[in-house]
Amino acid sequence: MPARTRKKADESGGVAVGDRDPALLRRIHEVMVLTRAVEDRMVAMYKGGDLLGSLYTGHWHEAISVGAASTLRPDDYLAPIHRDLGAHLWRGMEPWQVMASFMGKATSPTGGRDGTLHYGRLDLGVYNLPSHIPANFPVATGMAFASKYREQDRVCLAFCGDGSTSRADFHESLTMASVLKLPNVFVIENNQFAYSTPLRMQSNSETFAIKAVAYGIPGVTVDGTDALAVHDAVAEGVARARAGEGPSIVEGVTMRMHGHAEHDSADYVPKDMYDEWSKKDPVELFENVLIEAGVIDAAAAKKVREDAKQFAIAARRKALADPMPEPSGIEDGVYAD
Amino acid sequence: MPTDSGQATYLEAVGLALDSEMDRDPDVFIIGEDVGQFGGAFKVTKGFLEKFGPRRVVDTPIAETGFTGLAAGAALVGLRPVVEFQFADFISCAFDPIVNVLARHHWRTGDPMPVTMRAPFGGRLRAGPTHSQSVESYFAHVPGLKIVMPGTPEDAAGLLVSSIRDNNPTLYLENKYLYRRLRASGPLSLEPIPLGVAKVVREGRDVSLITYSAGVSQGLEIAEELDKDGISVEVVDVRTLVPLDVETIVNSVRKTSRAVVLHEAAKRMGYGAEIAATIQEEAFWHLDQPVVRIGARNTPTPTSPPLEDAVIPQPAEIAEILRKVARA
Repeated sequence: MPARTRKKADESGGVAVGDRDPALLRRIHEVMVLTRAVEDRMVAMYKGGDLLGSLYTGHWHEAISVGAASTLRPDDYLAPIHRDLGAHLWRGMEPWQVMASFMGKATSPTGGRDGTLHYGRLDLGVYNLPSHIPANFPVATGMAFASKYREQDRVCLAFCGDGSTSRADFHESLTMASVLKLPNVFVIENNQFAYSTPLRMQSNSETFAIKAVAYGIPGVTVDGTDALAVHDAVAEGVARARAGEGPSIVEGVTMRMHGHAEHDSADYVPKDMYDEWSKKDPVELFENVLIEAGVIDAAAAKKVREDAKQFAIAARRKALADPMPEPSGIEDGVYAD
Repeated sequence: MPTDSGQATYLEAVGLALDSEMDRDPDVFIIGEDVGQFGGAFKVTKGFLEKFGPRRVVDTPIAETGFTGLAAGAALVGLRPVVEFQFADFISCAFDPIVNVLARHHWRTGDPMPVTMRAPFGGRLRAGPTHSQSVESYFAHVPGLKIVMPGTPEDAAGLLVSSIRDNNPTLYLENKYLYRRLRASGPLSLEPIPLGVAKVVREGRDVSLITYSAGVSQGLEIAEELDKDGISVEVVDVRTLVPLDVETIVNSVRKTSRAVVLHEAAKRMGYGAEIAATIQEEAFWHLDQPVVRIGARNTPTPTSPPLEDAVIPQPAEIAEILRKVARA
């Protein structure tokens, strides 16, 4: 099963809208815009000193994160990473709660016990991962295993970065999932850098999708700034997983437009890379696609942006006002009853 | 399949308890290397594949991180995995999912994490530095893990039942030297034995021997010998290191005023240090002697018999220390 690179569907550079459900397209667009608005707001919060530690953002990951998550059913599982605010929001995560996590507030999903990017909620089917990415990969195989064990057709979608592919977790999970034919889709968000380490120092493989060949599963590389390209590729993997045919890899190629986190000025990134990739803003690109296809008009697009901005402002207000946690019960819950 | 002969070995007790829990709860499954068609490296799961099928008896590639993390994910959504590590030595390959995924997940999120990790550990089988390790201390330092170390076939059964039913990640360490050397004295009860309850396995007056796992049967034999010399040893089986039953240990030391702590793990930073420190915190004014720790020398475990015997505490050495402490 050779790895593929998906061709563009049309000359204008973007997978065609075709006869897709306009409601789904609008929803993908809204969540992408909201993702950007919340992250831009949080960058301002970081600079203004609202946040505790650093801030990990997913600028230019919106198409991958939302494009992929939007292929799932509500009862499917998700194991995202720190570039995937969009996937969390797709599942119903509240922006104020994400901000609360970066502030150590009592109202964060972990009540301030964990913080920053560790805000996944199992009630939304989302695994809350530790820092050791891709430690979420083995866990994702377990969620998929449980689905198969119970003869359900739930799928687990897991994300990692280009750097993650070097770790044992990646290889062991892909091995386990392919041998046990688990209903997983593994999305590799190739954003050119793992902290400061560029691709050429991370992997000697031509692509990341090509690794699928070694596991005997399908692998495809798509334009990670094209939400529909990602959506289609992941949907294919999800359908395959749901049908009991096992896992697959989708590599979305994009660029990490901020530092590893906001403390990182990323001076090691060549300026021309930023110049080149700044022309490929996934949120703008998708907005243009929808306007050109007549799914939304310019006024509607403007309203989506403005609503998202106001929503992010309100989220900040709530998160700021929320209480800090009480230390009195800190030893509770080390063990479950 | 294991059947209870009325004198089940320690190994059979593990298998019987696992079989019983898999009968009882369809969410329990066993996963690990060679556990299915081969029946496990030590044959704990012999016949399980035939009885429960490949859905619940899962052979895996050699991927400790992979299958331990898989167990975490399965547990998160309601299953109760039992992971078999072929040797406890290989558990280091899964240190990351155990420490960073399993152990702290509940405290971070409130989600239960019911994973039992079975691992045969320990020396005296001439298996050398990377097939003989005692790993309990690596993990006793990690909040969120329970650590279970049965010393008898009866406890091996009842404590495994409790471990599987527990909603926390539990490291259940099987002493492989005991596998075929100890037999139950009658039909096994497969009722749960609560975690965190130590047991005074022999009453005595002069000195408390606080121990676990293989130290229990070893300690009982030594205590019988010393009894002939008029030295009365109380043997306390800790049974679970986490949670630790401080009360039973301290009550014993208050009674005898002397304590020796024994394990086959290396003495330096071994779990005996925690027990000794706890005794001095809780029962200092009852002590007539400093608490003495007995453990292996601070070397890797050697292969060759004279070398291994020189490293792991031997009965004569243990008896000598008990005699000295009791008479001092």
